[in-house]
Amino acid sequence: MTDTNGTTPGAVDDGRVGLEIDGRAVRVPPGTLVWDAATRAGIHIPVYCAHPKMEPVAVCRMCLVTVEKMPKLQPACATVVSEGMVVHTQTDQVAKAREGMLEFLLLNHPLDCPVCDRGGECDLQDFAFRYGPESSRMPITDKVHFEKAVPLSDRIELDNERCILCWRCVRYYDEITGEKEIVLQERGVGTVVATFEGRPLQSEFQGNLPEVCPVGALTHRQYRFVARPWDLQRAKGVCAECSYGCNVNVDTRDFELVRFASRDNPLVDDMWLCDRGRYSVARWNQTARVRRPLLRQSGAGGEREVAVAEAVHEAARRLAAVKDTHGATAIGVLCGVETTNQEAYLLQRLAREVLGTQHLDHQLETFPGLRPAEHELAIAELEECSAVVVLGDRPEAEAPVLRLRLFKAQRRAAVSVHRVAAGETAAALAQRIRGERLVGVVVDEAERERGAEVSAALAAVNSAVRRLTITRGVNGRGLKDLGMLPGLLTGYEPAPGAGKNGREILEAAADGQVKALLLLNADALVAAAGELGERALRRAEVIVAVETQVGAVAAAASVLIPGHALLEKAGSVTNCEGRVQRIRQALPPASQTPPETRVLAMLAAALGAPGWPGETMAVNRALMEALPAYRQAGNGALARFAVAVA
Amino acid sequence: MAEYKLLLKDVGTPELWRLDSYEGVGGYQALREALRKYTPDEVVEEVKRSGLRGRGGAGFPTGTKWSFLPKDVFPRYLCINADESETGCFKDRYLIDENPHQIIEGTLLAAYALRVEVAFIYIRGEYFDQRLLLERCVEEARAAGYIGRSILGSDFSCDLIVHGGAGAYICGEETALIDSLEGLRGQPRLKPPFPAVKGLYGQPTVVNNVETVATLPHIVQRGGEWFATNLGADRSSGTRVFCASGHIERPGVYEIELVKTTGREFLDDLCGGVWKGRALKAYQPGGGSMQVLLPEHLDLPMDMDVYAKAGSSLGAGGMMFMDETTCLVDVSLRLVDFYRHESCGKCVPCREGTYFESTLMHRLEAGVATREELAALSDICDNMDGKCFCPLGDTATWFVMSAYKAFRDEFEAHCGAGGCPVRSAPAVAALVNA
Amino acid sequence: MTLSATTRSRIESLRERYPQPRSAILPCLWAVQDEHGWLPPEGMLEVAELLALAPSEVQAVSTFYSMYFTRPQGEHLVVVCINAPCALRGADDVVGYLERKLGCPSGATTADGRFTWQSTIECLGACGGAPMMQVDHHFHENLTPDKIDSILERVGGGPADGAEDLAPAAAPRKPRRGRRPASAEAAADRGDGAAK
Repeated sequence: MTDTNGTTPGAVDDGRVGLEIDGRAVRVPPGTLVWDAATRAGIHIPVYCAHPKMEPVAVCRMCLVTVEKMPKLQPACATVVSEGMVVHTQTDQVAKAREGMLEFLLLNHPLDCPVCDRGGECDLQDFAFRYGPESSRMPITDKVHFEKAVPLSDRIELDNERCILCWRCVRYYDEITGEKEIVLQERGVGTVVATFEGRPLQSEFQGNLPEVCPVGALTHRQYRFVARPWDLQRAKGVCAECSYGCNVNVDTRDFELVRFASRDNPLVDDMWLCDRGRYSVARWNQTARVRRPLLRQSGAGGEREVAVAEAVHEAARRLAAVKDTHGATAIGVLCGVETTNQEAYLLQRLAREVLGTQHLDHQLETFPGLRPAEHELAIAELEECSAVVVLGDRPEAEAPVLRLRLFKAQRRAAVSVHRVAAGETAAALAQRIRGERLVGVVVDEAERERGAEVSAALAAVNSAVRRLTITRGVNGRGLKDLGMLPGLLTGYEPAPGAGKNGREILEAAADGQVKALLLLNADALVAAAGELGERALRRAEVIVAVETQVGAVAAAASVLIPGHALLEKAGSVTNCEGRVQRIRQALPPASQTPPETRVLAMLAAALGAPGWPGETMAVNRALMEALPAYRQAGNGALARFAVAVA
Repeated sequence: MAEYKLLLKDVGTPELWRLDSYEGVGGYQALREALRKYTPDEVVEEVKRSGLRGRGGAGFPTGTKWSFLPKDVFPRYLCINADESETGCFKDRYLIDENPHQIIEGTLLAAYALRVEVAFIYIRGEYFDQRLLLERCVEEARAAGYIGRSILGSDFSCDLIVHGGAGAYICGEETALIDSLEGLRGQPRLKPPFPAVKGLYGQPTVVNNVETVATLPHIVQRGGEWFATNLGADRSSGTRVFCASGHIERPGVYEIELVKTTGREFLDDLCGGVWKGRALKAYQPGGGSMQVLLPEHLDLPMDMDVYAKAGSSLGAGGMMFMDETTCLVDVSLRLVDFYRHESCGKCVPCREGTYFESTLMHRLEAGVATREELAALSDICDNMDGKCFCPLGDTATWFVMSAYKAFRDEFEAHCGAGGCPVRSAPAVAALVNA
Repeated sequence: MTLSATTRSRIESLRERYPQPRSAILPCLWAVQDEHGWLPPEGMLEVAELLALAPSEVQAVSTFYSMYFTRPQGEHLVVVCINAPCALRGADDVVGYLERKLGCPSGATTADGRFTWQSTIECLGACGGAPMMQVDHHFHENLTPDKIDSILERVGGGPADGAEDLAPAAAPRKPRRGRRPASAEAAADRGDGAAK
């Protein structure tokens, strides 16, 4: 990059830049900022304005460091490394500057830490302790006052007195969402962050604001006075609200979920969550849950609570009876989209190998000819495209964080993003978008046929076309990869016989052709079928349900075994691009029964297939054995299916 | 001694602001000549040869600044900085009022030299009549073929837009000016990239002061060599237009040759000396940002480098004189308040530091500050100086710190005095400036 | 719509004048303030719409600059510089005189709505004619109580309307800042301090 590069005697020409920070030799790629180089070397430099996802502005002046041969202190967050640079972060001069900045920052900052939601996880508090002066020399006068605790929306509260004007929220709206809702107003010591005429925020990404704010100026209204960080238990999880697979930290207090916080995965969420996902806290704290195994007799036989072993035994007996009497085709197997890969692996084996039915699914719609080719483009690769075509509104409506990635691709990588209305034909599109190096096509799975048509048309006039299909539900993609659908086995291998899809299974049950239903956390799926679902539940002779929700399925089940909500179990789920992501137990289970994998193994054993693994890790080993793409993917990587199967 | 009138030579010509009047005194001849005789690069060379240094305050050599533009990157932009807002400076306003076409001609010469097709004159909002005047003159010049397509039949085309600010000192900082011109809050930009590489609309941009470009017609007409050898000397070539203010008999605008004039000559011969027969206590050259100097410095030649060595600067051409009755704490307070008012709020040390400074200075002038507060003041200034995002915050400390150093007793006398010991009780003035 | 057709078309032509429309924001806000005497939020909304900006961006800019008003002002605007060079030559006396004469403190509007006056620490660039003030943006220098009396009498004493295109010496004006041939009259009005 620079002409000085490599001129230092003895410098290794590895394309990197060598510098020294606090006596430590560091080699970093050209263009790296001193702050990043120091962080990599394990040297802490305090910052407020600098943010890993935003461009440097160097306004807080907290990161000033001594750079030899430069007369003034330099902001580490905005200074690019150069060969032979010598940086000191521990000099008296630096220490004094830091102390001085903190004195300035605290001049007009209220002393309301005890009632500030940020207390305990506040950079101003932390750095003031670590680098700040013991007291302020400001004589007792009025601080600059602003209106406190102003609601910016139903989600966000603003306290301008706490604001240190780091510009992060402004840059967030500028650089990350492009919505420009929060701006700086006024100037000098009277500067505030504000919306136009105080109008409420409209963004569906507001929840990120308190996380980019380094202090307690922007806070979550729903989290107001809820907890202190030291009272929280934190587990790594994946947001369950769509198939995008945003990584989250699941923060609980006293066995209650209190908030989802972002957990940066640059390949997926890039540390941003949508409000739909972030504020989906309440549903995980619902107290109405299926808590005990239950047996119901047909007719007026009534119901009784049983031990789980008896419930499993009875489930096996009843399913076997249907199979014996009506054949395996009289059994349908359904699961919800919050089923983990491990559960799905066992469930589809149970259906096919033990029960012998081909009628299994995780959704109502049919996707004939589903091929891995629909999933060739990864989320982060959108930035590598030269053009991106987004078909209709649905992809971004289903997976809102996708919009932020598209904006980033547009802004940072100059990718041209075309949002295509329903009316535009594939041919017209091919007229408009041609000669591109790589076209990304983003389509919702409900419109996958149009996606295929558009991709084919674009492939003829562009160098390469790759598709990203937005699947439905947190593990809609994994359930397809694992063959939890008719017609395709694990890994998209064609199934030997034709099977019914979700809707057809319910129709067959309503018609009396399917006599037994095995339902794994499928209440939402059955409910989505509306009246058809109700008829199916009424007519089916045997309903074996593993279920968390108190709903129609639990009410109709002949054998009911309590299930576990996603946050209550471990395993993995696969996002729409095919990334296999681990989830960990964050909440204690609502019932005493074993996890679903164990229940499925018990059921298999009771049906004559003993020895199946039941613990998550063991199931996962078997899963990876069966599905090489997942073995290669491991945890957190993409499952790639090289062979497209017709 | 007398003035040397180069930029002001035609002042007094009736209705000089009219095009025909300006042409009558040789106006636009330099532009005609340049288009006929010189390539753009030759104009750059001529300016380099003249040794002309920017008149906006920093004194950077104009030709060198121009040569930082990357070759073959177009379009390029030229912004003439008429945002003059430095305390004690009013020369740009005077130049506009008295000879607007000279500035327009100079702008066009710079635009020609730099191959710029759209140039701007950014004029501060408070110069309302001056903006209207410039707009009117630009239209006149456009109608006469000096501005627009194929100027005077050459292949040089240039549009000139007069852009009015709306009240922000910081827009005189060149990157803030560019942001303001782009329609943003006028706040300084992170450098690098420098404007010469990535300025207005992300394109190579030069920002020059009004007086700097007003000098160009003279350099082009009489040659860089003439300018460098005949006017001023060494690294301070040419004339400068100074703004005399404060306790003097004849405040106003005076153009002098650099180096060949001393401060004393400037004060006594041009400004009529200190008013009311009083003695001089201190003066501030350069404008409100610069350090205070004492009567003993008056004998130094008005040379940019000499003044820098004396711990101050000729800056943007202010010369503010203070007589023996002046309270330096009061003057410091006004200047500090100015910076608090004009801080853009971007960086912490300037935004909060100027507020802190101002609070302490008000207490000091009111005679209620303690000695600890006075000690804190200089430490706070140290925590600002050199640590701010742009020079505004740094310079907010310069006058007060230099005054504190030079008039330490006077500052200390304010501590706990219950009022200003200088202004309210002139007798106390005897104890200061000993 | 808050803005007149004239103002809107002025904004549209300003927009066309710059390489990028956004650059026109300051002159456009001037156009709004010329019409209303201040910047009503609806006016900013219209500017935003005409320049294809978010309204928040317009307000971010308008609040940064000290010459845009966020609320209505008196008919005439009087600004007195109290920065150091003016202070050395008696600006505080001018402030005291105006306070007494207009009967309200700096930043306020007279009871009859005729004048809004303020002292400012911002140097207005007339130090050579200190003490000074600007009345409706026109410079008045070397002030004395008599001179202030006659200026305010001239500006605020006559009819409040019309007479936009007359020089300030003869024309009492509303605080709107329309086109006006500037130049010689303005220079003449500047007083004798700076121009020797």
